[in-house]
Amino acid sequence: MTKAQLVQVVIAFFGSIFPAILFNIDRRKIGWAGLSGALGWFIYIIVFNDTQNAIAASFIGAIAVGCYSEAMARKLKTPAFEFLIPGIFPLVPGFTAYTSLRYLVENNISLAFSKGILALAVGGSIGFGIMLSTAIFKFITKVRKERLKYRKS
Amino acid sequence: MEAKKVADIATSTGEILLSNGAEAYRVEETIRKICSSYGFNSECISTSTGIYISISDKNGEFVTSVKRINQRRVDLYRVELINSFSRELAENPLSYEEAKKRLNEIYNAPNFSLGVRLLASGLTAFVYTLFFNGSVLDALVSLVISFGIYLLLEYTSKIGSFQLLEYFLSGFIIGAASLGTGMLFPEINKDNVITGAIIVLLPGVALTNGIKDLLYGDYVSGFAKFGEAMLIIVAMGVGIVTALSIFMKWF
Repeated sequence: MTKAQLVQVVIAFFGSIFPAILFNIDRRKIGWAGLSGALGWFIYIIVFNDTQNAIAASFIGAIAVGCYSEAMARKLKTPAFEFLIPGIFPLVPGFTAYTSLRYLVENNISLAFSKGILALAVGGSIGFGIMLSTAIFKFITKVRKERLKYRKS
Repeated sequence: MEAKKVADIATSTGEILLSNGAEAYRVEETIRKICSSYGFNSECISTSTGIYISISDKNGEFVTSVKRINQRRVDLYRVELINSFSRELAENPLSYEEAKKRLNEIYNAPNFSLGVRLLASGLTAFVYTLFFNGSVLDALVSLVISFGIYLLLEYTSKIGSFQLLEYFLSGFIIGAASLGTGMLFPEINKDNVITGAIIVLLPGVALTNGIKDLLYGDYVSGFAKFGEAMLIIVAMGVGIVTALSIFMKWF
């Protein structure tokens, strides 16, 4: 990972905190929210450096954010939602979607189309990543509960 | 407690959740939990514009409640408060008056002051301009533009107008302002400035929540949120491009 990319991770930390403030997050959780975004972007960069594929990188990044949010939710007794939203903020392809629209208006249909599909695919992979991590944690919690019941009986 | 009163509490809870950005499944599950805390069965459907609740009474009678939601924003604190509220209810069902009082407190929960939010909005623009490889100078311009846009949106939302029109205007102003400063100071790259300034407005979160709703099978809510996010992006994009085309032609 290059130095510039590491700086990006630090920027991502702040880039998750400020939108979290706009979303009226509880003061005590601000730092954790920032970590969520930094972690997500960190994983994104690692995967992207390897695969050069934004979709795969967003997917794994979103899984990382999802797992982190679920873990923090249990530790801090808040809904995971609260860390998910700031966490995915750096990953979300809002800018790609805007670029696609700009190409469309500049009459560059093929580039607009490719950027647009990319934006949709990245958005979908983020959604899937979050859903997968939530499902995994639900499964783990269930298995643990079953084991506890089994041991007690 | 009577079914009607439970329906009232459940509806108010759902309203707060939905208008503060909760996903469809969260609204539906929370309402179901609240009703079962008071010992009632319930069914709930949540779309992005409203909730429909139906509670069945001891006598088999149904009490229905419908609530239309007009404005949505994302407020993490209120969602968290409702979450703890519903958990508390599950262990210890409050009386009607107490529950209503708590809901009122949550509805009026503190926001960050305008100054703090303004700063956060500007800093978000600043940070993301740097994130997308802009220079510090670009980032500063972005910050100032973002201040202006945020203030503008604060005041126009009080007057109340079409949401899409607000986004179009914001895009237009961002495009014009970026182009203007880019022409006055050639070191500034207008594309980087635009990038940072629009990040706050772009509905990235709504887009992803829409996709999440779709994945959970809430197709009405999912497609609605997704469509709304798309329209917002289009409105903003058209605003920016209009500004750029108009002003580029004149100079």
